[in-house]
Amino acid sequence: MLLVACCAMSQTTVTGTVTDGREALAGANVFIIGTIDGCLTDSLGRFSFQTNKTCQMTLRVSYIGYDDYTLSTDQTTDLLIVMHERATTIDEVVVTASTYSFGKSDNFKTMDALDVVMAGNSCGDIVAALQTLPGTQMVGENGKLYVRGGESDECQTFVNGMHVLVPYSTNTENNTVRGRFSPFLFKGINFSLGGYGGEYGQALSSVLPMETTDVATGDKLGVSASLVDWNIGGTKAFTNSSLSFNADFISMGLYNKLSPDRYDWTRPYRKLSGEAQYKTELSSATVLKTYVGYDLTSVGQHVDERHLSLNEHNIYANATLKTNIGRGYSLFTGIASSVVLDDIDDALTLGDHYHNLRNEVHMKAELRKVFSSVLKMSAGMEDYLRHSTKRYGTDHYCLDYHLPSAHIDAQVRVMPRLFLNVAARVERDWLLMPRTTLSYVPNKRFQLSAMLGQYSQTPEDDYIAKSGKRLTQSTADHAILSLQYSTGKTLLRVEPYYKKYHHLPLFNNDTPPYRGGDGGGTFDGYGTSRGFDIFVENHSLVKNLTTTMSYSFNDSERLYLDYTVPQTPDYVSRHNLRLTLKYAIGRTIVGLAESYASGRKFPVGTTPCYNSVDANLTWLVSPKIIVYTSLNNILGRTNIFRYNADGTPVTANRDRFFYIGIFVSLKNNKAYDISIF
Amino acid sequence: MTFQFFKNRVLAIALFMMASVSSNAQTPQMQALIGQSLSKIESSKPETMLNCIAELKRIDVLFPDSVLPKYQMALQSLNFSVMNPRAEQTENLLVQAEQTISQMEKMKGADLSDICTLRGFLYMVRIVQNPAQNGQRFYIDVMQNYEKALKINPDNKLAQQLQQKFIEGMKQATNQ
Repeated sequence: MLLVACCAMSQTTVTGTVTDGREALAGANVFIIGTIDGCLTDSLGRFSFQTNKTCQMTLRVSYIGYDDYTLSTDQTTDLLIVMHERATTIDEVVVTASTYSFGKSDNFKTMDALDVVMAGNSCGDIVAALQTLPGTQMVGENGKLYVRGGESDECQTFVNGMHVLVPYSTNTENNTVRGRFSPFLFKGINFSLGGYGGEYGQALSSVLPMETTDVATGDKLGVSASLVDWNIGGTKAFTNSSLSFNADFISMGLYNKLSPDRYDWTRPYRKLSGEAQYKTELSSATVLKTYVGYDLTSVGQHVDERHLSLNEHNIYANATLKTNIGRGYSLFTGIASSVVLDDIDDALTLGDHYHNLRNEVHMKAELRKVFSSVLKMSAGMEDYLRHSTKRYGTDHYCLDYHLPSAHIDAQVRVMPRLFLNVAARVERDWLLMPRTTLSYVPNKRFQLSAMLGQYSQTPEDDYIAKSGKRLTQSTADHAILSLQYSTGKTLLRVEPYYKKYHHLPLFNNDTPPYRGGDGGGTFDGYGTSRGFDIFVENHSLVKNLTTTMSYSFNDSERLYLDYTVPQTPDYVSRHNLRLTLKYAIGRTIVGLAESYASGRKFPVGTTPCYNSVDANLTWLVSPKIIVYTSLNNILGRTNIFRYNADGTPVTANRDRFFYIGIFVSLKNNKAYDISIF
Repeated sequence: MTFQFFKNRVLAIALFMMASVSSNAQTPQMQALIGQSLSKIESSKPETMLNCIAELKRIDVLFPDSVLPKYQMALQSLNFSVMNPRAEQTENLLVQAEQTISQMEKMKGADLSDICTLRGFLYMVRIVQNPAQNGQRFYIDVMQNYEKALKINPDNKLAQQLQQKFIEGMKQATNQ
């Protein structure tokens, strides 16, 4: 009884030091389990506190980023406690190799929609903004994404995991197109330049998955206007759902009158777009997102003796459902439909007519589960159902095919700092494609990854028709090494890569095109692409200044299409360099960008290098009004993008482009929010 | 762009909200412990806030299935961070707050309105840390979280007041 009483009444002083084996840990929480007796360690890692417990006690030490330390002991003084860094769990690790994320990353945003808008000369275009990243090529005559020596159609776009057949707007030949989606639709944009997991198929080079924003919590209404586009949009928020609409009209008519360009337009470029979204949280574990968008594009151009007239209808709709079904399982299901109808009069010769209807339905289901802190898996199935009709003079085809596939991905923490992602994807005709990534992630500052994988894609419908409707898939083997180092203020990433292409479309020039499917095309083409990308981002040179440097070297060669010998594709520039600078001064943000690309090879010669200095300025006039202005190619250099077969150079329709737009939020409590949709 | 006034007002609100803690406590013992811990805070002495947060962590270990110690731990971590946005402990506390909020989201007894309030507060602290860069970046996240908190529970006083002060703070910061 006396002993017990003594134990209860007397006080014991507990002392010691907490280190990580090398350095003292200041601010570690040391306490006796079952009590609140304890203290924080001082700057030398020392602790000292009193407790009523005098018998054997269990001491707990906790410190952010380290495993909790528990010690049962009779000793109360001069305790030496060595903490061990907590191993990242499989759910926490974010392997960034070969991927650039806009939106939420590592729990906090690295770049968001506003950054996309303010990037270089993007004018709010996601595709243009992505071209400030390494690995992309400058192909000025169409503005599409060309990644690491791949064609533009080797990069595929996904919205909420569902495929978009045509993610670009359209335009006449040698005119830049834009991405068809507003950056404000999305809360996250991940641009993978290769080596991606099993979930994504039908993409030889890269994927651009984008995740739309969540259910809106408040109503929105806003308008924007510029010399070339006018927009109105809004959102109505309900208890567990939200309905959004957006209408946009782009017309180059006014701009062309104020600043005529090199082309003779019979009808200025016009695009009318309408979008709607309905998102609902059916329960705390289930979210349904739907999207539908329609674009009508119309343009007329006087070319030689022709009066080219182009009309395109582009409809895209998708619906996805994500639900947690218990026991750590989550289920994703989705369906998307793309319909694109193009009609062109005087397309290539006077009096001709080009008609092309493409339709795709993409269906997908995937089951995901985090089994433990060292293993998570996902498995899914999908199918692409495609239809394509083309009529051009005597050339015509009608294609119907589907591309079923299945995939399985496993992410394993092999050792505390070593992560392995193993995936397999099976495509039509039992084409099996293994993919693997091994990552060493010792801490949040450093990552080293090695990626190997095989990817496939059916060639364009034209080539399928040309080859007698054979559905042979082109394949590409990716080998990528990625090294990333970041301090709080600077990020450095270096990525060498090697890609080998097989079964590329190759056709004989003697074979007339599209002869009802009995053409002479084959899939015996091949090629390689190798190079390296360097990306540096810095926030420390001057306060409020962000600078980036992207450099890409690419050496590629292929035998495909009508090539007779392996050669460098004409869209490839060996060197690409982009420098950007963004500086915030009060309510104004100034951006500057320099883009350089070495010459491109054509049969008639190599183009001069591309060079453009662009500037933009964002001014927060008031919390509800933002003015954005940009001037592309300040120096007015006439860049030659390519040469036609007859040797005539192809340049931009105008050397400089000036843009000024005003974005107004009409809701009282909204600011910085031009994402009215 | 200064957030000093903003910071003081936010802290005043957060401290005021402590008064309502006891009414939500799940057990008398836990209530007493949390009350004692919070009563030691002296707003002019950051170390008292750090000690309080550490003590709340110990209480959380004592009552691992209770939401309240976690809620208080996250709230006090954010209070400290908004008052001391550049202190060496702040980044760790924000990481801890983020983790704690994520833990709360998985607990059945957690109030979604409180969670949204904490998330809004977390983003708000990020803005206070670097207004020039994070003001535009996190503005919408702050607003949406407070809006959601108030949609779920229109009587959530902390969300009401933090939202109001946030709007005032942003107006001040942008000289409106």
